[in-house]
Amino acid sequence: MGKMIYSILKAAEDPGQLPAVLSGMRGISDADFHEVSYDDITAVVCDVQRAGLVTDRSATMDYAGVIDSLFKDFTLLPVRFGSVMESEGEIRNMLERNHIEIQKNLLKVEGKVEFGLKVFCDTEKLKADRSIEPEGTIKSVNDAEAGQKNQVYMDYVKKKLAEYRLEESVLSYVNSVIKEITECLTGVEATGKFKKMASPANIIDALFLIKKEMTAELIRVVKDLQTRYPDLNFMLTGPWPPYNFVDVTIS
Amino acid sequence: MSENKILFSTGNLEGLAEDIGKMSDTEGSKLKLHPDNADSGLAKLVLTLVELIRKLVEKQAMRRVDGGSLTDEEIERLGETLMKLEMKMEELKKHFNLSDRDLNINLGPLGDLM
Repeated sequence: MGKMIYSILKAAEDPGQLPAVLSGMRGISDADFHEVSYDDITAVVCDVQRAGLVTDRSATMDYAGVIDSLFKDFTLLPVRFGSVMESEGEIRNMLERNHIEIQKNLLKVEGKVEFGLKVFCDTEKLKADRSIEPEGTIKSVNDAEAGQKNQVYMDYVKKKLAEYRLEESVLSYVNSVIKEITECLTGVEATGKFKKMASPANIIDALFLIKKEMTAELIRVVKDLQTRYPDLNFMLTGPWPPYNFVDVTIS
Repeated sequence: MSENKILFSTGNLEGLAEDIGKMSDTEGSKLKLHPDNADSGLAKLVLTLVELIRKLVEKQAMRRVDGGSLTDEEIERLGETLMKLEMKMEELKKHFNLSDRDLNINLGPLGDLM
């Protein structure tokens, strides 16, 4: 038997609040939740049979659902699915050893929520719209000897050069959209992370951490961006617990 | 989590879901090593690294061609080398029955390798 940790949270002012919230929830394999505390931080855990731990979609969704419910009432650090420790004593020691790091991270995410912004586009259309010469024109330092070139190899380089220029042009466009998103979000005071070209269609996959009260403003900014870029599709999701803005290496 | 987390979207949700599904579908890009397929599993891993390096070399070469600092002779030699490398890779992929998708390992949150 082990203890699965769902999240680490900052103790509420009302000591009865967490037990009240947990009493209405069930953990993995229908187990009860309980708290393991050290100083002002608490880990929410439930008993789990390591051997019977199923790591399918349904289990991970249930796990995320618990973190999401807790997140409505508490400032928390979500813990990765499958984080199991042997005993309450071991968890308490872990909280003690990492107390400063955990507190630092809790402070960073306090009163904040995470949002995901995915930008999709028809990459083939985007490429077609780029003004790239179909065959790359090669500049060389001695163009005068053009007649001596082996045409097969030169044609191959031209083809590759055209592909390279197209790729660079698309990347430059993506960078310009990211720059605009960043500028538009200045007023929202967002901390952002951007991933470019996550897939051919998903040209930008961004994550933001913002103050809860800025949510409406963020939605307005995204709607405004959509109007400016009618050929792109913006998808905003959230609010999420701060999955991607927690940086604790447990020792 | 029954709550709707999509706050704003203009695209066709089914199409977007399909795209997202493809991104998280790592089944095809997993390295499956078993005693009975150790050869092909290892070949997949090695060829993935070779392909990554080949693409990096190709990109760097095109950057130099685009910069206009090479002579015609150098460009021609570059073209010959890159072309032969690509043909050799195709041969190896065919030999080990691998596709381009097989050589694109999914690195989880970091996305696809290539």
